[in-house]
Amino acid sequence: MQYSRVEKEFFFRLNGEEVRVRAPPGYTLLEVLRHILHLTGTKDGCSSGDCGACTVLLDGRAVHSCLTLISQVEGREVTTVEAVDEKVADAYARHGAVQCGYCTPGFVVATAYLLSKMHNPSDAEIREWLRGNLCRCTGYVKILKAVESLAGDDG
Amino acid sequence: MKQSTTWVGKEVVRRDALEKARGLTKYASDMFLDNMLWVAACRSKYPHAVIKRIDVSRALKSPGVVAVFTHRDVPNNRYGVFVKDRPVLCDDRVRYIGDIVAIVAAESKEEAEQAVEEIVVEYEPLPVVSDPLEAMKPDAFPIHEGGNISRSTRITFGNVEEGFKASKAVVENEYRTAPQIHMFLETEAGFSYIDEKGVITVVAGGQSPYRDHHEIVSTLQLPPEKVRVVIPHVGGAFGGKDDVSVQIYLALVTWKTGRPARFVWDRDESTIAGTKRHASIVRMKTGASADGKLLANDVEIIYDTGAYTALGHAVLDVAIENCNGPYKIPNIDIKAWLVYTNNMVASAFRGFGAPQVMFAMEQQVDQLAYELGMDPIEFRLRNALKRGDVMVFGNKLETSVGISQCLEAAQNHPLWRQKETLKSEKSLPWIRRGVGVAAAIKGFTLGALPDRGSVAVELRRDGGLTVKGSFTEIGQGVVQAVAQLAADLFKIDIEKVEVVFADTGKTPDTSVTSASRQLFLAGNALKKAAENLLNLIREVLTTRYGQKVIEARFENGYVVGPGFSHSFEEVAQMLEEHGLSREVVGVYDVPRVEPIPGSLEIPHLFYMFGATLALVEVNILTGTVTVPKLVSIADVGKVVNPQTLTGQLEGAAAQGLGFALLEEPIIDKGILKTTNLSTYLIPSIKDVNEIEVIPVESFEDEGPFGAKGIGEIGIISVAPAIANAIYHAVRVRPKSAPMTPEKIYWLVKQAGLTVK
Repeated sequence: MQYSRVEKEFFFRLNGEEVRVRAPPGYTLLEVLRHILHLTGTKDGCSSGDCGACTVLLDGRAVHSCLTLISQVEGREVTTVEAVDEKVADAYARHGAVQCGYCTPGFVVATAYLLSKMHNPSDAEIREWLRGNLCRCTGYVKILKAVESLAGDDG
Repeated sequence: MKQSTTWVGKEVVRRDALEKARGLTKYASDMFLDNMLWVAACRSKYPHAVIKRIDVSRALKSPGVVAVFTHRDVPNNRYGVFVKDRPVLCDDRVRYIGDIVAIVAAESKEEAEQAVEEIVVEYEPLPVVSDPLEAMKPDAFPIHEGGNISRSTRITFGNVEEGFKASKAVVENEYRTAPQIHMFLETEAGFSYIDEKGVITVVAGGQSPYRDHHEIVSTLQLPPEKVRVVIPHVGGAFGGKDDVSVQIYLALVTWKTGRPARFVWDRDESTIAGTKRHASIVRMKTGASADGKLLANDVEIIYDTGAYTALGHAVLDVAIENCNGPYKIPNIDIKAWLVYTNNMVASAFRGFGAPQVMFAMEQQVDQLAYELGMDPIEFRLRNALKRGDVMVFGNKLETSVGISQCLEAAQNHPLWRQKETLKSEKSLPWIRRGVGVAAAIKGFTLGALPDRGSVAVELRRDGGLTVKGSFTEIGQGVVQAVAQLAADLFKIDIEKVEVVFADTGKTPDTSVTSASRQLFLAGNALKKAAENLLNLIREVLTTRYGQKVIEARFENGYVVGPGFSHSFEEVAQMLEEHGLSREVVGVYDVPRVEPIPGSLEIPHLFYMFGATLALVEVNILTGTVTVPKLVSIADVGKVVNPQTLTGQLEGAAAQGLGFALLEEPIIDKGILKTTNLSTYLIPSIKDVNEIEVIPVESFEDEGPFGAKGIGEIGIISVAPAIANAIYHAVRVRPKSAPMTPEKIYWLVKQAGLTVK
C-alpha cells in the first residue's frame, strides 16, 4: 500500500498554551510532541506502552503518549515533564534517582500524577502506581526514596 | 598513600541529574535537524541465507526517497574489533535476522519505512544453526568460511587429575544461562551532519568515540580528519553500546548525500539487532580436600557469539580468567569455545563473561561446602585470595584484595546469622525461605591488552578548569566523579570544574568506557595532568622570581609556595604572557604484563571483588521465586561519591535479579520471539524489593585516591546467590538461568516437596 502523507490540523492545549499543529491523523501524541513540535522531554522507549518513558498528563491524568492518537487529544489539555512541578524532578535529582535519566521524565510525570491523587502514599501504593514505568539503571531503590520524600509534602 | 580529600568520598548530587529529570537534556535520539533525512534498514528475512540478488530500483522511485545504499557503497565492507567478520551491509550472505542488507534515506520516517518494503532481496535459505553444541560439530553447516569456532583455547596449570585424587569431595555439573538483553531505555540512536568545516559529524549513543570513529573511517575509507564522533548523554548502555550500531550508516548517508540524517532503532530492532550477553553452557568438575581446600577445577566453557564475533574473544578471556572465582586453586584445566550460530550477536554486557561462569562456580563451591559439612562462607574464606598469593594463572596478586573483607561482611550480616531462623519461621504453608551467598571477582582494566588514556586540562582565563576526556556518560556518573577527582587534585572548588566529554573533535582519547575502569583510567590521567600543570607553572614562576621554584603546590584555588601565592586566574594570565598553552595533557598507561600463552588479556593486575547475600521465598506450588532482600557487598577500593556508588550497585543488583529470575529471550531457530518489553520482562519496581549496599574500601595504591572499579562487580554474584538461597530453601540446585517458575516448579516436583 502506498503511503500518502495526509495531514490534518489539530488543536489542543500544551503546558498551558494553545497549540495548532498539522499532523497525519495516524500520529500518536508522542510523535507529535517529539517529531513535529521537537519537545523532547517526553521520551520514546518502546512505542508500545510497555516502558512508561513517554508518560504525559492528559486532562490531568497520566497516559502513555505513545498509545494516544493525536486525534484523541483534540481540544484537551496536555502537560509534559517540562511543565510538571519542578519539586518532583528536584526530589529525583537530590535522592540520586537519576542515572542515564532516559526513563526519569516518565517517572516524574507518573509521580506528579500519583501525588495529585494520593497525598501520602504507602510504599506498596507507590510501587503499584509506578509499576508501569521501567528503569534499567537504578534498581528503583532511590526512586522510591525520592517519591517518599515528596509524600505528605504540602509545599 | 591515603590523602585527605574534600570532594572525593563526599555525597554530591550529580550535576547532570536535575536537567535530566526535567526533560531538558538532549540525548542523541532527541535531535531533529533542518533538512534531515530519516534512515531505515532493510534487515534479513532469514536467520541464514545466501543473497542471490538485491534490487533497489523500486525503492529508489518510492516517494520521498533520496538514496538507497547497499554493500556496493561501502568501500571496505568488513569490520570488527578482534575479527573483521561482520559486513556493514550484507553482500553474499545473511547470518542472522538483525543483518542489514540495505538502508534507505528519505524525507520522512514513514517514507523511509515504506521504501524498505519496496526493496527486493532474493534469498536462498541455508540451514539454520541455532544450537551452539550442534554448531561445534565437525559436520555442522559452516556460518563463516573458517567454520563455526570463532575462537577456542585451553589453559592448564598443575594437574587436575591429581587434584581430584587428593579431593574428599568432587562435584560435577552442567550450567546454562540465557542471552540477556541490555534493554537500555534509549535504543541505539544517532544523527549526523556536515559541519561548517566540512567534517562528517556523527552524534550517537556509544561507549567509545574513538573506536566508533575508527570503525567509520576504516569501513568508509574516509580521511580520519574528515570524521568526528560525539557521544552525548546516553540513555543507558551496560556494554550494549560498546560495539558500533547506527554510526557507520549515518556517516555513509551524510557522506553520500551531504545532508543531515537520523537513525534511531525501534525497540524491536534494538532487541533483534543489538548485542546480547552470551548464552552459555558451562561444565565444571571441582574438587576440595576434607579440610575445605579447593584442589582442582576442570572447566568447559561454551559461549554462543551468534552470527559475529564482536567483542567475544575478550569476553571469553574474562570467562576463563574468572571462572575459578576469587579463590586459590592449584590445579586447573579450562577449555573454552566461542561459537558462531545464527542467533543474535553477543558481545559486551556488564560483567563481560563473568556472570555466566560465576553462576556455575559459585554453585559448585556451595555444593562442596554442603558436602563437606562446612559453612558456605567459612569454606569460601578458607580459599579466598589474599594479597601476595599466586593466582591460578601463575601471576602474583600484588594489588588490593578485598574478598575476605567482603565475605566477612556477609558472615556478620544479620541475614546470614539468622538464616536458619528465617528458614524455619512460620509463613504460608507453600512458601519456603532460604538465604544464599555467592562471591565475585572480576579484573578491571583491559588486562594484558594495551590500555592507555589521555585527559586534557585547560586552565581557563576565569581561573576555572575544563577537563576534557573521551569518557562517555552512559548513566554511571563518570562526569560527576571526574569533577570530584579534579577538584581534589587541583584543590579547587568543584563549581569551577567544567567537564567536556566524548568528542573526537574536542577531547583526547581516554580509551573505551568499559571494563569498570573509566574512572581509574581518567583519574590517573588527571593526576598526570595535575603534575604536568604544576611543572609548567613552576617553570613560569622560576622565570618570574629569577630563582628555581621547586616548592609550589595547589591550595584552595591558588598556586602557593615559599613567599608567593597566585590565584588560578593570575596563573592563567602568566602562562599566556609567556606564550605558553593554558592546556596540559596527562597520559596514563595502565600497568600490565604479557598475556599467558593461549590468552589475549589474561592476567589482569587489578581485580574487583564482591559478595551477594540473597533472601528468597520459593512458592512450591507455582515455582515462583521472590527476593525480599539482597545485600550487595563490593570492594571498590575507595568510594568517590556514595550516592552514585550505591546507585551503581543497586542497579547492578536489579539487573542481576532479572538475569537470575526473569529475563528469558525465546529464540526459535534463530528468530527472536521476545522483541519487546511485554514479552521480555525486565524487573519492574514491583520485582525489586530491599537492596542493601555495603561498600568495602580496600584502597588500591595505583587507583586515584585508592579507587578501583564499580560498574560490573555488583551484578556477578547475584544469580548464584539466589540459586544458593533456593537450594537452602528447597534443597534443589537450579542449574539454568533464568530460574523461571516453570523450571523451579519441575525441580521442586521432582524433589517431592509438598505442602504439609
